[in-house]
Amino acid sequence: MWTPLFQRLFSINTLGANLTKIPQNSVNSPTATKKHFASQFSQSVVVQNHAATPIEEVRVNMADMKVEDRPVALVTNIGSCVAVCIHDAINKCGGLAHIMLPSSSVTHNKSFPLKYADTAVPALTEALRKMGKSSVALSAKMVGGANMFPNMRSITLNIGEKNIEAVRQALAAEGVRLLAEDVRGNYGRRVSFNVADGSVCVRNGNGEVKEI
Amino acid sequence: MTENITDRSVSEKKSVSETDVWASDKGADLGILLELGSIGAGNAATSMSEIFQEQILIEVPKIHTLPPHLVSKFYQKHDVPTTAIYMQLRGEADCDMLLLFEVEEAKKIAAMMIMAPSPEDVDPEMEASAIEELGNIVIGSFLTALSDFTGVNLVPNPPQRVVDSFDAILDSFLIKQLLASDRAIVFDTYFKRADGNISGILMMFPSRQLQNVLTEKAKKWVTGNG
Repeated sequence: MWTPLFQRLFSINTLGANLTKIPQNSVNSPTATKKHFASQFSQSVVVQNHAATPIEEVRVNMADMKVEDRPVALVTNIGSCVAVCIHDAINKCGGLAHIMLPSSSVTHNKSFPLKYADTAVPALTEALRKMGKSSVALSAKMVGGANMFPNMRSITLNIGEKNIEAVRQALAAEGVRLLAEDVRGNYGRRVSFNVADGSVCVRNGNGEVKEI
Repeated sequence: MTENITDRSVSEKKSVSETDVWASDKGADLGILLELGSIGAGNAATSMSEIFQEQILIEVPKIHTLPPHLVSKFYQKHDVPTTAIYMQLRGEADCDMLLLFEVEEAKKIAAMMIMAPSPEDVDPEMEASAIEELGNIVIGSFLTALSDFTGVNLVPNPPQRVVDSFDAILDSFLIKQLLASDRAIVFDTYFKRADGNISGILMMFPSRQLQNVLTEKAKKWVTGNG
């Protein structure tokens, strides 16, 4: 009865510290690993940034996109898919698209443009340009494209890699600069994109947290 | 704990619109699949009871089929740490099977299997091995039922285990499913034992070919020509 409550409180408390850096020497001790694990997967809806002010989180689902001009964090979980975060620094708005497949040409069913890199990236930039009411220079950050099951025989035909390449091309075609990326690997990632300042916080399956 | 999980998933599942999800009471072919699931689960329960040395019942209370990109929205378990056992099936028809437990639940199950006094006493490697074996049993039993019913020869590859957040695990499978067909089939499974329930999710991502076979069989079965 008390354990989940305790864990929850505990994990929220440690989250702020965890965002900054996990001390290397403490990782090996059993208690530290446990702490680390609890905070790694904590389900808190409020994330504390360095200034300790809570940010509202907006969840972006698979094959979906969200554009925001309020100071919120757009959040999604990524494996082989790719999350593209595009930021408009002048108007302080931004958008995140959760892209699943590289090209809409692979399927006969084109009813869902946000699934595909070659259709989702133009949709996202257009939405942002509309929101910012000017065609200002946008910048992008990309996360994901992992190969979750390296031993899996041809399951996804290395779709992560293809997704990364397709997003790069789509961004170049739209004239959006790619500032940073955290891609590949064999673990999932939790992406938190701060729309106000354009920073992207990535927590990967090994519990490492970094900002790009 | 288990009850909370069940309540939450039931209430939040409503956020996906009704038209996107075909629940088990709609459509005869889904009814057939649910029946198959129950038979498979029965086989699995027998094997598990032998391992645990106590009576285990597995229930497959619900089956859903929904567009692949809505699966994670449907479950609303985005960040939940999850242990997944994955088995890929080769043979006449392709199929991916996935058995998912929350990490704490998986630990509990492993502790039960190796008769450890508490989940904290389980060695991580032992846990991995136990959970893989469980996946083998549950998925294997399910496949036997499926194979008997359809006459399709399904050959499973060895199970693989992965621990990550719910969404990250799913998306590799959903990508493949998006390429293959527009429906994923999902069973909610519950393991019942004397000390309380353990909930898990059994997901099946059939290829288009296997889906066709299943639908054909179901139609024949309903009209009495099978």
